[in-house]
Amino acid sequence: MKRPSSLLREAWLLSRDRAAIFWLALALALSVFSVASGVEEVRYQRGELAKLIELDEADRNAELARQSDWGGAAYYAFHLTYDPPSDLSFAALGQRESAAWKHRIRMLSLEGQIHEADAPNPELALAGRIDFSFVAAYLAPLLVIFLLYDLRSGERAAGRMELLTATAGRAESPWRMRAAMRIGALAGCVLLPLGIGGSVMGAPVAGLLLMSMAVVLHVLVWWALVALADRLSVASTTQLSILVGGWLLLAVLVPATGRILVERAIPVPSGAEILLAQREAVNAAWDLPKEQTMIPFIERHPEWAEHSQIDAGFDWKWYYAFQQVGDQSAEDISAAYTRGRLKRDEAARLSAWLSPPAFLERYLQSLAGTDVRSVIAYEQSVRDFHAELRSFYYARLFPGQDFRIAEAAGLPEYSPAR
Amino acid sequence: MKTVLEARDLSVERSGKRVLDGVSFSVTEGEVFALLGGNGAGKSTTLLTFLGFLPPVSGLVQVNGKAPAEDIAAARRAIAYLPEAATLYGHLTARENLRYFLSLARMRPQAEPIEAALDQVSLQPDARGRQLSSYSKGMRQKVAIALALLREAPILLLDEPTSGLDPVAIDEFHGLIRLLAGAGRSVLMVTHDVYGACQVAGRIGLLRHGQMVGSFTAPAGGRIETEAVHAAFAGRVPA
Repeated sequence: MKRPSSLLREAWLLSRDRAAIFWLALALALSVFSVASGVEEVRYQRGELAKLIELDEADRNAELARQSDWGGAAYYAFHLTYDPPSDLSFAALGQRESAAWKHRIRMLSLEGQIHEADAPNPELALAGRIDFSFVAAYLAPLLVIFLLYDLRSGERAAGRMELLTATAGRAESPWRMRAAMRIGALAGCVLLPLGIGGSVMGAPVAGLLLMSMAVVLHVLVWWALVALADRLSVASTTQLSILVGGWLLLAVLVPATGRILVERAIPVPSGAEILLAQREAVNAAWDLPKEQTMIPFIERHPEWAEHSQIDAGFDWKWYYAFQQVGDQSAEDISAAYTRGRLKRDEAARLSAWLSPPAFLERYLQSLAGTDVRSVIAYEQSVRDFHAELRSFYYARLFPGQDFRIAEAAGLPEYSPAR
Repeated sequence: MKTVLEARDLSVERSGKRVLDGVSFSVTEGEVFALLGGNGAGKSTTLLTFLGFLPPVSGLVQVNGKAPAEDIAAARRAIAYLPEAATLYGHLTARENLRYFLSLARMRPQAEPIEAALDQVSLQPDARGRQLSSYSKGMRQKVAIALALLREAPILLLDEPTSGLDPVAIDEFHGLIRLLAGAGRSVLMVTHDVYGACQVAGRIGLLRHGQMVGSFTAPAGGRIETEAVHAAFAGRVPA
């Protein structure tokens, strides 16, 4: 009987506190905005993909119908590859803001096609979108601070501390209930829009629960930090300065310093370097004796050695062979790029233990499948698909088979991992 | 008469400084005891020690025969405490403040006793629904006194209870204290108001630099002589 009445009492007191209501309303508004913006972005991406998927086959079939040989078919037929947003990605857009999630690829050198992709509005991507993960990881801690920093110190300053404690009878009452009420209300304001957004997007309940639990844990960590600062028994304004300083340290300085240190410690070649290496190899091939191009190709594909004689003029076999050699020449740098990104990601994961906001943001992105590993997995799926395309076309180009449109129906189709 | 509050050879330190030094006194059931002293004499510290906020470094402090630390909840339940210049919540009305604090004390706040208590402290009815931020210091003090009355605790610890009250309200307050004592409630009030203390207290202890330097007892059916206490308080005569 005691607990519900003290709960109601503190809920009533909270409802009369204009400052607290303001912060809670702000939390709700930020969460609603971030979830709505995430839902809109995911709907846009899904809409784009739906249109592209519909156009992809029609466009390819039209091109294939115009062709008379497999070389031309391979050159003109594009294939859509894509990484559809997960049902949870509305809450954490993560790498989908800056990394390409769709490509139109064909039988030419692949590395250039992967890294040549458009990034929508890079300036916006640089600034970052206010998605739910940003609100929960970086703004919610500030709201915890504003809601709790003067819970005790404010009472001390007002001279009410002893009266409240003596009236309540116990040393801790009513602080825990009061703080718990505010934390609960904040968590509700932040998580309610997530739940609504999740049901609108058809997100899995388990994923939403994991996200919610992570956010609640994060908020509890910041509650603990506020409680720790409260033990200093300093004035409210001093306590606020200490806590905001702590937020700056953990939410801004530690992640930023971590990023700089990781980038310095783990050098990663840029996508442009891969593109350049591949382009130089491809362009140089035009000036080289054709046989010289075929040597590294046959080393990789000895199964086509019998069919590697090249005609004196233009020969599609030679053309696609030097496209592949272009990829082979960029292979090392491309692998270094992927390895470097994975290493950086691992280092960032470790450094995130020092920053609860960065840790939460990473966790939400991993649940939503919008982290670096998901991007790399998508790129690998594109490479795998491109390898299937090469196998299909090489099996027809090298033996010199005639083009048959009906056979083109057996072209590999890209299917996304999710 | 049962002793409800007792300090025996009590010494207390705050921030490493001795604030109370060997203080002894007791308050019995239905008695009004006034601790009189200037600023920094240790009056408020004495009240906070009875409430269990400050532990004694030596000596004994008891509420209803038990040290507060033994059962802090029981000690605080037995006491209604009125702090000096009590600041209740400015964004709440008088009624809301009383309801909140009574609920905090695990009491069921009812409208009728709340209005009766506010009548007792003469808070104008039209002010009772206004936020305390619009009150004068004296009006806020009246609400705090009403809270102490509503607690229905057998012991009242009052820290400068008439601070901010006008002369009429002070007289009414003194009448109220006498009434409460007559009903069996024990009052320990600390004040530097010599006149007020003599008006209501059956006994007065004079506190100076943390030491009890004198005491006065009212004659049967009479009041303590103000002039004698004033002279001792001012140091004109030995207490």
